[in-house]
Amino acid sequence: MDKKNYEFYTASDFAKDEDFQQWILCPDLKKTSFWEKWMHQHPENQAAITEAISLVHSVQFRSYNLTNSEKDRIWDNIWDKMNSDEPEVNPVFIAPVRGWKWKNWWKYAAAVIVGFVAVFSIWKSADKTTPSKSITFSDHTDQGEMKKLLLPDSSQITLNANTEFVFSQSGNVREVWMKGEGYFHVKHTKDNKEFIVHTYDNLSVKVLGTRFNVNTFGDKISVVLEHGSIQLSISDSTNHETQLYLKAGEMLTYNKATGDYTKRKVEAERFVSWTSGRLILDHYTLNDARAFMQNVFGKEMIIQDSTLLKSSISGSMPIIYKSDTMLLQFGKAFQLHFQKHGDEIWIEK
Amino acid sequence: MKELQPKQINLLTVSSSLGDLWEQFQSGDRDAFSKIYRNHIDYLYHFGMHFCLDSERVKDCIQDLFKDLWLDREHLTQTVQNLRYYLISSLRRRLLRSLQKDRRHPSDLLSDSFDFQLILSHESALINDEIYNEKKLLLQQGIASLTRREREVIYLRFYQDLSYSEIAALMAMKVDSIYNLVSKAISLLRTSIVLSFFFLFL
Repeated sequence: MDKKNYEFYTASDFAKDEDFQQWILCPDLKKTSFWEKWMHQHPENQAAITEAISLVHSVQFRSYNLTNSEKDRIWDNIWDKMNSDEPEVNPVFIAPVRGWKWKNWWKYAAAVIVGFVAVFSIWKSADKTTPSKSITFSDHTDQGEMKKLLLPDSSQITLNANTEFVFSQSGNVREVWMKGEGYFHVKHTKDNKEFIVHTYDNLSVKVLGTRFNVNTFGDKISVVLEHGSIQLSISDSTNHETQLYLKAGEMLTYNKATGDYTKRKVEAERFVSWTSGRLILDHYTLNDARAFMQNVFGKEMIIQDSTLLKSSISGSMPIIYKSDTMLLQFGKAFQLHFQKHGDEIWIEK
Repeated sequence: MKELQPKQINLLTVSSSLGDLWEQFQSGDRDAFSKIYRNHIDYLYHFGMHFCLDSERVKDCIQDLFKDLWLDREHLTQTVQNLRYYLISSLRRRLLRSLQKDRRHPSDLLSDSFDFQLILSHESALINDEIYNEKKLLLQQGIASLTRREREVIYLRFYQDLSYSEIAALMAMKVDSIYNLVSKAISLLRTSIVLSFFFLFL
């Protein structure tokens, strides 16, 4: 603190003093101990100090607050704006509107859209036999099979084994129903068409354009986001919907039975590496291997010694879509013996 | 001498944690970046709303600010004294630029009708509503004599906690002028508050 003749200060003088203000506005140990000591030495100035404190406190400004979800949305938009590899983001803002006044431009655009929608819906109701450009198709993968699909909007979907998939595009929405595991690389369309992935449980994923993995095998659903941002809706038994957002590198795990969910940070690469034919193992347990054999090949591992379930390995291995080869690899990695009995696999130390 | 120790530790940790966070952010740590965002978003939004009352514009400029911060992180200065000051001055420039580009706003709007509205705190239980309203009226009359720019200075000092010299740099003013303005505001407040004390004892 500077040497100032504080003993001669009036209440206004204190209130105008930068160091004094600083103590009131942003107190810390150093400032507080300085001023407490000073007041102790100068009890006669107590009244002036008290008034000065109330003066500084009386400068208040109207408050403006963002809700948490607004903050999340701004944060997501920051990353969206950086996605330079998807130049169609926010096409509305790219469109040349020079020479026009923004506000008016919107009014005209809105009028045109309203007109268009009206004409469109009249036309559509008049001619029900030809649904407008709506596309529906389904596909599935068998055990030990992986498939890449290219959708009409040039989005790419990779399906893991044992997965059922339905796609439908109509009007302003692209929708997928999926059971199994799929990796989505969704293209952002010029007209901001939503892309929704429905699972057969109360969870769906809504995006504009991004890359993510959805896995519904077993008793849980996991959604891992590699890039961009996505919105999830989870509805409970009373049909109440909860919306939440996932950021790049986050995983949501949803328990199908209880409806509970948790969100955590993960290395997204680990969860999408299967699409490039590699299994990245990070404390991969025998239980994980059992789930893999079950999901991909429909083979059941019988593990009698439950202590083995927790043994884990780290590293990576190629995914070969042949159950015998995968078993051999797992066997070597875990240093265990596998015995095949039909569709069952018996494990021994 | 013993009592000096905790103060020093306090100072050290405060300054090094900002340094660390900034360094982590510059080396590409997204968590550090997210922390910076979380720490400052409320203050930036509050400043922006007082500056132009246009929520969408404020959000847009904040998005651009953080986007550019991330993309340019390797080229930014390595020592930031006060991140709040750094971010507010950037947001202020962006808002000005955005408003100038926008033909909806004639430029004279910038000089006057914006916010930075001072309000009286209603904390003292001794003061009843009548007196509070009396105070408020007096204060408003006083505040009306301040220009928008002057109110912005008061705001930056008392809400955003920027130093006199930071405000001077931000507003392209002299430190003396900042001091005089703060004096003026304090006098205004004092008149209204002291008068209300006077009413209280009548």
